[in-house]
Amino acid sequence: MIWILQTAIGGLSTGAVYALVAMGFSIVYRTMGLVNFAHADVVMIGAYVTVTFFLTAHLPFGVSLLAAILITGALGVVIERVLRPLESRDLNLMLIGTIGFGIVLESLAILIWGSFGTAVPTPIPNLPLRFGGLVVTTYQLLILAVAGAVTALLFWFLDRTKLGTAMQAVAMDRVAATAMGVDVAASNALAFAVGSGMAAVAGALVGPLLYVSPGMGASIGVKGFAAAILGGFGSIPGAIVGGLVFGLVEAFSSGPLSAYSDLITFVVFALAMTIRQTGIFGERTVDRA
Amino acid sequence: MGAAAGGLVVENLSVSYGQVAAVRGISFSVPDGGSLGIIGANGAGKSSTLKALFGLVDSRADTMAFQGVSLRSLPPHRIVTLGIAYVPEGRRIFPGLTVRKNLLMGAYRQPWRRLDGRMERVYELFPGLKRFDRTPAGALSGGQQQMLAIGRALMSSPRLLVLDEPSMGLAPVLIDDIAGVLRRLREQGVSMLLVEQNAKLTFGLTDRCVVLENGRVVEEGSSAALRDDPGVRRIYLGM
Ligand SMILES: Nc1ncnc2c1ncn2[C@@H]1O[C@H](COP(=O)(O)OP(=O)(O)OP(=O)(O)O)[C@@H](O)[C@H]1O
Ligand SMILES: [Mg+2]
Repeated sequence: MIWILQTAIGGLSTGAVYALVAMGFSIVYRTMGLVNFAHADVVMIGAYVTVTFFLTAHLPFGVSLLAAILITGALGVVIERVLRPLESRDLNLMLIGTIGFGIVLESLAILIWGSFGTAVPTPIPNLPLRFGGLVVTTYQLLILAVAGAVTALLFWFLDRTKLGTAMQAVAMDRVAATAMGVDVAASNALAFAVGSGMAAVAGALVGPLLYVSPGMGASIGVKGFAAAILGGFGSIPGAIVGGLVFGLVEAFSSGPLSAYSDLITFVVFALAMTIRQTGIFGERTVDRA
Repeated sequence: MGAAAGGLVVENLSVSYGQVAAVRGISFSVPDGGSLGIIGANGAGKSSTLKALFGLVDSRADTMAFQGVSLRSLPPHRIVTLGIAYVPEGRRIFPGLTVRKNLLMGAYRQPWRRLDGRMERVYELFPGLKRFDRTPAGALSGGQQQMLAIGRALMSSPRLLVLDEPSMGLAPVLIDDIAGVLRRLREQGVSMLLVEQNAKLTFGLTDRCVVLENGRVVEEGSSAALRDDPGVRRIYLGM
């Protein structure tokens, strides 16, 4: 019984990171109908920038994280701006453009930080806390708290601010939103910035769990991507649920069968997708009229 | 042709989709405070004309100006700032946003903290909408959505209201309701460009009308005169 709870806590904390990555995919997809394949590498850049400020510049972790959010946010704006001319011509071209951007980011990371990874210590002492027989580490709690706070902030932004409301309106009907006075291109750039900022948070949190390396985007990105699909691509609640479910399945399969954990996780994923092709929350198609 | 500097002036407007010519060199104008109806059958080019005004499709024109300002000189999202508001075909409300937020989006270009009772005035015009204030707009009936689409457009306090088939798919009672609201707006001095297949409704709401067929203007004149024109009566009023 304790074992189940124990595993669940571990699964939820990695799942929270997948959820952050998935939300970043989804916020861009729901506004533009575009899968941003550079997103995984933005996670990696976010991890590196945080590590650089935190370990090399010796800034507090919170400040490093904030700096990483701002830098990747700006990077998101750059990606949207560079690829924007492709949008009106063919969205598939833009999609390929994001793949290209990902490759550029990886090469850039190798140039700046070298091709070998860095082991990163946890930003706070990683102490075990005992609740009865249950052991929760302080870093797991930090991940859950930060991911929860960022998610709440995203909901507040979308629901309570004018720009967020406009971003939702664009996702629902870009033509009507334009006629109301919304600059759709600017709104798209903002969606990229928000998604990329969330990628930085995911990267910073996952750094101490993995090795921070130029190739780290591939593994975390694929899981975040799969989590987004599982939840229903483009749905924000779907991304959260998808991320958590993904983390849980992974945690439960890695206990007894750790060598096959990824395999089992993706088989479960594939089965879930054959049963419900639109994902858990998926129903709407993105408006591109 | 409309040499008036005020109001909306469109001269020689054409819209094509690839090889398909949807609008072929039409001219019309809506004087400040006045109204114009554009009637025509399916595919006549009515919606394409309106989309051209808002820069939502590529178009060519010798003149396309409102209050002397060329509509082509602005990006599409700035056109509403000239005082033109659009009620698109098929309502196109934001289904996942509440009724209140849909209305707020109509005033996107204004500071939301200083709307000076605009929302109250819209609710006064459409009393049936008020109790759905916090309801997602997608849950409303077709008639309510049409009212919301008109209300949303009014939130920008437009000088010219542009409507694309507001009667489409609505029961006669609801059409009467909407006609009543449009008449009130006309009395308040709001100019109107009304696109419709429902000729009877349009003649009753506008000063002048043009009849569009295959992207060309085939008839134009005062609404009263067109209503009595035997040819127009036969084709568009079915009598
Ligand atoms: N996006 C498009 N691509 C290609 N052809 C189009 C497009 N939109 C409209 N058309 C064509 O242009 C012509 C005019 O269409 P438009 O929508 O302006 O007509 P309408 O008068 O508004 O018709 P309705 O009463 O059915 O709304 C039609 O022949 C239509 O098939
Ligand atoms: Mg039409």
